[in-house]
Amino acid sequence: MTRALLAALALALGAAPRGGIAQAAPPAKLAASIHRLFGPGVRVDSIRVDSATVLRVSRGDSLLGFAEVGNVIGKDQPITFLVAIGPDDRLKDLDILVYREPRGGEVAYEAWRKQFRGKTAADSVRVDKGIRSISGATISVHAVTAGVRRMLADLTTWHRAGAIR
Amino acid sequence: MLVFSPLTAQEHTTIGGYGDLQYTNPTGPNTPGVANVKRFVIYLAHGFNDRLSLHSELEVEDAKVESSDPVGELEVEQVFLDYRLTDWLTLRSGLVLVPVGIINETHEPPTFNGVARPSFDQDVIPTTWREIGIGAAGTIPGGNGLSYRVYLVNGVRAEGFSADGGIREGSGEGQNASFANPSFTGRLEWVRPGLTVGGAFWYGGTANGDPTLGTGTFAAPIALLALDARYDIGAASFRGEVANISISDAGAINDRYGNGIGSRLAGGYVEGAYNVLHHLAPASSQKLNAFLRYERYDMQASVPDGMTPDSSLARRITTVGLTYKPTWNTSFKADYQLQRNVAGVGEHDVLSLGVGFQF
Repeated sequence: MTRALLAALALALGAAPRGGIAQAAPPAKLAASIHRLFGPGVRVDSIRVDSATVLRVSRGDSLLGFAEVGNVIGKDQPITFLVAIGPDDRLKDLDILVYREPRGGEVAYEAWRKQFRGKTAADSVRVDKGIRSISGATISVHAVTAGVRRMLADLTTWHRAGAIR
Repeated sequence: MLVFSPLTAQEHTTIGGYGDLQYTNPTGPNTPGVANVKRFVIYLAHGFNDRLSLHSELEVEDAKVESSDPVGELEVEQVFLDYRLTDWLTLRSGLVLVPVGIINETHEPPTFNGVARPSFDQDVIPTTWREIGIGAAGTIPGGNGLSYRVYLVNGVRAEGFSADGGIREGSGEGQNASFANPSFTGRLEWVRPGLTVGGAFWYGGTANGDPTLGTGTFAAPIALLALDARYDIGAASFRGEVANISISDAGAINDRYGNGIGSRLAGGYVEGAYNVLHHLAPASSQKLNAFLRYERYDMQASVPDGMTPDSSLARRITTVGLTYKPTWNTSFKADYQLQRNVAGVGEHDVLSLGVGFQF
């Protein structure tokens, strides 16, 4: 882990979170997520856009994509998640960084998350309309799906407008 | 759900709730329709820090509570503290829902079809079954969809058992619950998108210090095993539950308390539903589920030697109806229920209407 990456992550974690509740992801978890999604040896810069902080991920001269950390409330606790898109504005993946609810942690499972991969802001990212639900985790499924949809739309808008590049 | 402004960066309080209003009209003379605010529930939760959180559910049943009136209950249905150590280990302590079957833990009206909860989930599994204890919950690392909950809780009391109520009135329900017979309960669940399969158990003594039933920790034990499954595919959804409760000392319990409990309670139900809006209005996120449920369970599937089983407690219930969900967390319901039993005694048909919500 380079010092620059940690500094960028720290900046992202200190940023005003979405959802109105300040819940941060442990830096190690965030770093592991970036590593998993974009591979080793990447450079991470943070960009302030509106009230959000977007992580710009690159290697050498090539842009690999963008990521953002957010929170949604499930039944009563914040769920901290990360959404990453590629340069083509397609969703690379989401990660559940911290799950705090008593039940419904199944939203972190690969089998559920993979439904989101490749989605664009123009696609339907809605429960039962492109995203299958999980019985027993319905509240978390709805909360995370809505959070991902909003974040994918924002990242796409910012990227197309040149606010992140 | 409402989130109050944080007291510190991480401390926050949330409220939510659910409600269940029902109209029921049994067929037959002198059985007028009855409307009832069956349940009105407030959730209150608080995050003390990133790891420690409180979860609670306060419920008013049947709209009001008066000391002169046997109907109506005000009850704390859950109140527990969670301490999250890792994704695979959260320590839990307090009044917890027994993790058996589908409805006991997930009982908000928009989550199930039919105005009333399945009868199986009242008679065999005593929904809403909650006890006081400690335990652990989490997702199993590398388990690819497996999660668990396991608790050590207070025991149920044989004194409360009855022929038609099963073990329901043996539950401590959080009020001076007896730890004469600490009991174990747990659940293992496997999940894929659209599919949830669970298995659960309860094991514990019920003697509650009564020497005629034995004095050991596991004196006069009940052993419960349950399986459940939920599957959604396209417009169709299916669910089912089965359970078996063995009460090996039912004879001694009945000799002591005269309560007529069977030595085995067993059965289950299957349900299929079809969202007719899936094809009529493909773009809509609203749902109109037509469903059919068949329940078959015996409160006295086995009885102690010398006892004759009451075949009116071998229940066969068919429910057909509609659930309209303008949003995923609101429901308007109508159903018609054929309440039958093997003896053919006291059978009814019941028309029910209901309004439900959760947030």
